[in-house]
Amino acid sequence: MILLENIKKNFGKLKVLKGVDLKVDEGEVVVIIGPSGSGKSTLLRCINFLETAEKGSRISIDGKVIHRQKNDINMLRRNVGMVFQHFNLFPHMTVLQNVMEGPTQVLHMKKDKARKQGIELLEKVGLADKHNAYPQMLSGGQKQRVAIARALSMNPQIMLFDEPTSALDPELVGEVIEVMADLAREGMTMIVVTHEMWFAKEAADRVCVMDDGLIIEEGTPEQIFDSPTTERAQQFLQKIVVN
Amino acid sequence: MEFLSTNILLSSSFIDWIVNINPSLFSMGESLKAIITRFPTFWKAGLITLQLTSAGILFGLLIGLLFGLMRVSEIKFMRYPAKAYIFLIRGTPLLLQLFIIYYGITSIITIRSFPSAVIALGIHNGAYIAEIFRGAIQSIDKGQMEAARSLGMSKTKAMERIIMPQAFKRAIPSLGNQFIIALKDSSLASTITISELLLRARQIGNTHFILMEMLIVVAIWYLILTSLFTYLIHRLEVHFKTS
Repeated sequence: MILLENIKKNFGKLKVLKGVDLKVDEGEVVVIIGPSGSGKSTLLRCINFLETAEKGSRISIDGKVIHRQKNDINMLRRNVGMVFQHFNLFPHMTVLQNVMEGPTQVLHMKKDKARKQGIELLEKVGLADKHNAYPQMLSGGQKQRVAIARALSMNPQIMLFDEPTSALDPELVGEVIEVMADLAREGMTMIVVTHEMWFAKEAADRVCVMDDGLIIEEGTPEQIFDSPTTERAQQFLQKIVVN
Repeated sequence: MEFLSTNILLSSSFIDWIVNINPSLFSMGESLKAIITRFPTFWKAGLITLQLTSAGILFGLLIGLLFGLMRVSEIKFMRYPAKAYIFLIRGTPLLLQLFIIYYGITSIITIRSFPSAVIALGIHNGAYIAEIFRGAIQSIDKGQMEAARSLGMSKTKAMERIIMPQAFKRAIPSLGNQFIIALKDSSLASTITISELLLRARQIGNTHFILMEMLIVVAIWYLILTSLFTYLIHRLEVHFKTS
């Protein structure tokens, strides 16, 4: 469903991505792991054009290549939900307004309908009772669950998660991971950058290990965690298992 | 030599050259009476000061918003004119700008004194307000724009719905400061025959030989008006903090 071919990205002289290929099928959950600076987040951000990949990179969805022009990018973004490490909720809006903003402003959905959908989504992430609260009144885990609901409000085909639990206190990680695991079970197509091994083992169909701007190894969670073949992957996995 | 020179500095003729003490003209009771009885006659002048200031601020807000947005634009043709405007206006005195508009361009068009003062106050404060808006817009976390764009919003829509509401809120204290400066700067309009507070004070003071008393009266008037501004801005801040 989503196909990345030869994705390259430079920041000045620094080559962050050196030609990544990745294919994700419908309903598949792909977890990307790798040491910091390996380009995981940049890859994710290239998928919905928050970063523009270098010329020669190709991103296609359902066989349709996404070109670097406004219409294509805005259409792509409607179909691709993104969850950020730092939540990025809109602080001047209530929780419900956050979840209604995309549908009403971008899809021109009627307010009643958007509200109904918003409440349903908040129920799904277990926060319907907070719909009138402002983001600053929520805990980190609650904020991230609202952010997931906000991304889902556009009815995306694919969800991208950029280290969704890295900014959370340890005791709040579980509630977010659970919501994500639910989504995976429902058949959502997901690309997740995370270090939560529990999520990777439970929910991932495939794990990709990135290092130095390339995917160096990919396979089922069992293959990757129990018997990684490359030395770099072995070193990295040893470190995170110890932690 | 040293001794001699200090002696010259302390000699009575030198002190007379600096100050001229004239106790016979001063009567505490008369002065108080003049201050209290003349206080209400400034009502009309105070109103003119207020009209001048509010019109100048409104005009300045419009200019400031326009140039502030141009200043943060990624398009050079937008950004550079805004930079040039801010450079020219911030780099020259308001009094000079006022003279150019009222006296200077009379060879091309003649603008009456009140509109001249409003235009001068507007373009002058516009430059500062543009910088206030620029700072406020740039202080909003980059993640806000990214979250908005990731929902499929256009840049314009994201500015309107997500960035500007937050930037406005953040700009209020600085804007308030600028409004108070504008209020006091409006006294420069006295130089182009507008009978606002300062000019009225000088006229009455000179004709009735109570200049000092009248200057105290306008000082009180300005303090009352600036307090009113401070109060209103505070209310605005509180209002936005809770919403």
